[in-house]
Amino acid sequence: MLTAFTRAFRTPDLRKKLLFTLGIIALFRLGSFLPTPGVHVSNIQQCLGQVQAGPNASVYSLINLFSGGALLQLAVFALGIMPYITASIILQLLTVVIPRLEALRKEGQQGTAKITQYTRYLTIGLAVLQSTAFIALARSGQMFPGCNLDIMVNDSIFTLVVMVITMTAGTSVIMWLGELVTDRGIGNGMSILIFTQVVAVFPAELGRILQTKGGWTFAVVMIVGVLMIAAVVFVEQAQRRVPVQYAKRMVGRRMYGGTSTYIPLKVNQAGIIPVIFASSLLYLPQLAITMFGDQKNPNAVVSFISRYYSSANTGNWVYMLTFFLLIVFFTYFYVSITFNPPEVADNMKKYGGFIPGIRPGRPTAEYLSFVLSRLTAPGSLYLGLISLVPLVALTLVGASQNFPFGGTSILIIVGVGLDTVKQIESQLQQRNYEGFLR
Amino acid sequence: MIVGISIALIVSSALMILFVLLHKGKGGGLSDLFGGGFSSSFGGSSVVERNLDRLTIITGVVWFVCIIALGLLLRP
Repeated sequence: MLTAFTRAFRTPDLRKKLLFTLGIIALFRLGSFLPTPGVHVSNIQQCLGQVQAGPNASVYSLINLFSGGALLQLAVFALGIMPYITASIILQLLTVVIPRLEALRKEGQQGTAKITQYTRYLTIGLAVLQSTAFIALARSGQMFPGCNLDIMVNDSIFTLVVMVITMTAGTSVIMWLGELVTDRGIGNGMSILIFTQVVAVFPAELGRILQTKGGWTFAVVMIVGVLMIAAVVFVEQAQRRVPVQYAKRMVGRRMYGGTSTYIPLKVNQAGIIPVIFASSLLYLPQLAITMFGDQKNPNAVVSFISRYYSSANTGNWVYMLTFFLLIVFFTYFYVSITFNPPEVADNMKKYGGFIPGIRPGRPTAEYLSFVLSRLTAPGSLYLGLISLVPLVALTLVGASQNFPFGGTSILIIVGVGLDTVKQIESQLQQRNYEGFLR
Repeated sequence: MIVGISIALIVSSALMILFVLLHKGKGGGLSDLFGGGFSSSFGGSSVVERNLDRLTIITGVVWFVCIIALGLLLRP
């Protein structure tokens, strides 16, 4: 393992890429600490301390998870990559609805590039919206409920506009940094930036558990965490290989095909996207009642929502069950978007491939979708169970919502980590055969 | 002074957004965000792209300096 690391650094082009990636990460973290001009730094620190000790610590957990604590400090990179993720999710959903986008996606590389460009425009739009919303929240003092200090230095419109524009530009810079890493560094830039932000809050969270709960709980949490990482790695790597045989054919004087390969169907084909979808959807009911609901004399719906779906009380069974079901649903939904059996079967037929024992064309598509839906069943259950772990831990140990080993964060860490190591590995193997993974 | 740097910050922010949007998007959406197949970028960058990179970096530095300067000036 260690020799592989030194070898990675001894390979010149790989070393350049690794150092470049590390440099971008350092820049990114620097921007996450740099406060936006106009923010009252000492007051915000005081408010942060108050809120984290209070009962509402989990309100912004999801967004804060993706911003690595930058959001609550109103840093320049406060929005993090959340706007980009939201924009990608929106466009992904829209490809099902709008025919033009679907046509673009089928066009191949050029169409995908166009969709990416739309995603970038949408990201900037969302960034303007979100930064305005957060500045407004911070100005009215709702960002830290129960903290009466002024977060802004002054309330003039000009300062606020400067802050909004700075944060929006910050988001575009993040987008560029991510693309630079994808282009010249190692791994997929966006996911590496998410990874950085998730890992950045880790030591603080662990330290808080050690401080508040004592050594024994800390040890148990660590052991459970390592076991969970092992389990997640195991499931993420699991795949079913559907064998495909290609027929030999002559084109001119050349012989093509005749190889046998396989289609790898992963158990968890959807990645962590269902979890992100589900948790962002579950924030909606609460948001709706705080905006439109009548708090004084609530009717049945409002009291039901505020009883079971408030983010301060996620340990109840209604919330957990809804979360679980949503994840299972979104897993199937996302797999059906990303993997299209008739299309795969068509492509195979075009190049003279077939699954041994099954006719090409429609029977193949049916077989593939049968296998896929059976594979996705355990995959979705696994995703649901893993994401419930922090909620269960919340009720059992009383850890905070950002419980380090659980749910979204562990899936992100393992997924991105595996992916990046695999890429470094494939770069290493251009020079020597032994890599990290045996 | 504060107003001047604020205006500089607004201008450089707008330029920054513009330059970033002018770049060709390299990250391919959400599907390869979390463990898709890894896509290799074909070919080097063109002259236009390289000059754009240079411009973006210069604007970025100006933007960064403006933020720090304004942050120091606005400190209560």
